[in-house]
Amino acid sequence: MSYEYFMSMLIPMLEGAKATVLLFVIAIVLSIPLGFLLTLAVRSSIKPISYLAQTFIYVMRGTPLLLQLLFFVFGLPLLPVIGEYLVLDRFVAATLAFILNYSAYFAEIFRGGLISIDKGQYEASKVLGLSKWQTTVRVILPQMFRVTLPPIANESVSLVKDTALLYAVAVPELLHYAQTVVNRDFTIIPFFIAAGIYLLIAFGLTIVFKYLERKLQYE
Amino acid sequence: MSFIEVRNLQKSFGPLEVLKDISFDVQKNDVMAIIGPSGSGKSTMLRSLIQLEQVGGGSIIVDGDYLVKDGIYTNPTDSKMINSKMGMVFQQFNLFPHLTVKQNLELAPKLVKKEKVEDYGHRSIELLEKVGLASKADELPSRLSGGQKQRVAIARALMMNPDILLFDEPTSALDPQLTKEVLEVMRNLAEEHMTMIVVTHEMEFASNVANHVIFMDDGKIVEAGTPDEVIKSPKELRTKRFLNYELNK
Ligand SMILES: Nc1ncnc2c1ncn2[C@@H]1O[C@H](COP(=O)(O)OP(=O)(O)O)[C@@H](O)[C@H]1O
Ligand SMILES: [Mg+2]
Repeated sequence: MSYEYFMSMLIPMLEGAKATVLLFVIAIVLSIPLGFLLTLAVRSSIKPISYLAQTFIYVMRGTPLLLQLLFFVFGLPLLPVIGEYLVLDRFVAATLAFILNYSAYFAEIFRGGLISIDKGQYEASKVLGLSKWQTTVRVILPQMFRVTLPPIANESVSLVKDTALLYAVAVPELLHYAQTVVNRDFTIIPFFIAAGIYLLIAFGLTIVFKYLERKLQYE
Repeated sequence: MSFIEVRNLQKSFGPLEVLKDISFDVQKNDVMAIIGPSGSGKSTMLRSLIQLEQVGGGSIIVDGDYLVKDGIYTNPTDSKMINSKMGMVFQQFNLFPHLTVKQNLELAPKLVKKEKVEDYGHRSIELLEKVGLASKADELPSRLSGGQKQRVAIARALMMNPDILLFDEPTSALDPQLTKEVLEVMRNLAEEHMTMIVVTHEMEFASNVANHVIFMDDGKIVEAGTPDEVIKSPKELRTKRFLNYELNK
């Protein structure tokens, strides 16, 4: 196989990888803070807020991501009355679905992280006079992030792989271009290239998270 | 005027009455030891003073100000002001594991008192020297022994310049050797006339360092007085039994 031919497969796929990476970055950057807000909402003493957040998390985790994607991309515009205002760009609609779905998973991770923090940490903060906000930001969150880093890393790798679901809502991404070349040239090499690119991204993520884990190590 | 006055304190956890009509006084410069069997309400009593538990009835007066008057708490501003006069040392140390020893000491002065580094920077080193841990300033708590952790916790409490320090079984998680180094620090504080309330099973410390001893059982103060009165010649049968058990452990 010539270098030129290999590049003729790779270049469109890299184009697709851009969409994959873009979706990944937007989804991870927005779903982590949103997930944390959801955790706070679940723990809120205002019952309606707590129930609403719990229901949201339950629905997002209990139904397939693919169903949610289809709903956001093709279902929203069909809603009565408001539907006509919800005709979003397909990539935008799909990204929205990813953000909401992953925020529910992150919320669960953060909830577990908060539960794991000893109540003595809150008590020590209180007797030293720290406010609730100071306690949360300076004492609890740094510890919560440290304990939740490994599951967050896992979810991130899942997210990379889940971006392939864009294929189902006809947003061109890595897998889409791979499939196109497969059909065009009757070769399965693009599948291997695609696998290589996914692995590479996952590998990069693993390195970043391992570095963070080491840096935030305190046990 | 007593520094702390506790009057008819009551506290229940659901149906369980844990404090039943507790009254006592603490004077400035007192070292008060609280002894008694496990489950008698010692921790709950101490935690009520520093607002980690909410009482159901009675009064607590600190330095002339009511924290609780007949079961009714004062406003949040005053209760915060009252809390800032007290420090607490826990059995499980409760150091902040993600911060270095020095950062553990400096967090509250920085955030709560808005002190400048010129002020808290010197004080943290001085206090670490005082508890013999200046060389550990930049270590994380996980690198310290239990005794060292507890000495850091004491220094951290002292950083806020409290008028009184509360200790809840500060050496119960430590083996005898480490217990000694923590008790040594506490003995030094007593010699500097730090006001302290210490829940402890260390009868030697209670006898020799405290000037007041309270024996609690089943949510009540059974016997109170000087160490000579309560530990050397207890009057109540329950106190005798408890001491017999503790001293022959
Ligand atoms: N948060 C709580 N909820 C319910 N019961 C409690 C709680 N804290 C303490 N207790 C109960 O109150 C009693 C007194 O406990 P405590 O004050 O810890 O005693 P001590 O410190 O003397 O061992 C015990 O019976 C204990 O089980
Ligand atoms: Mg106790």
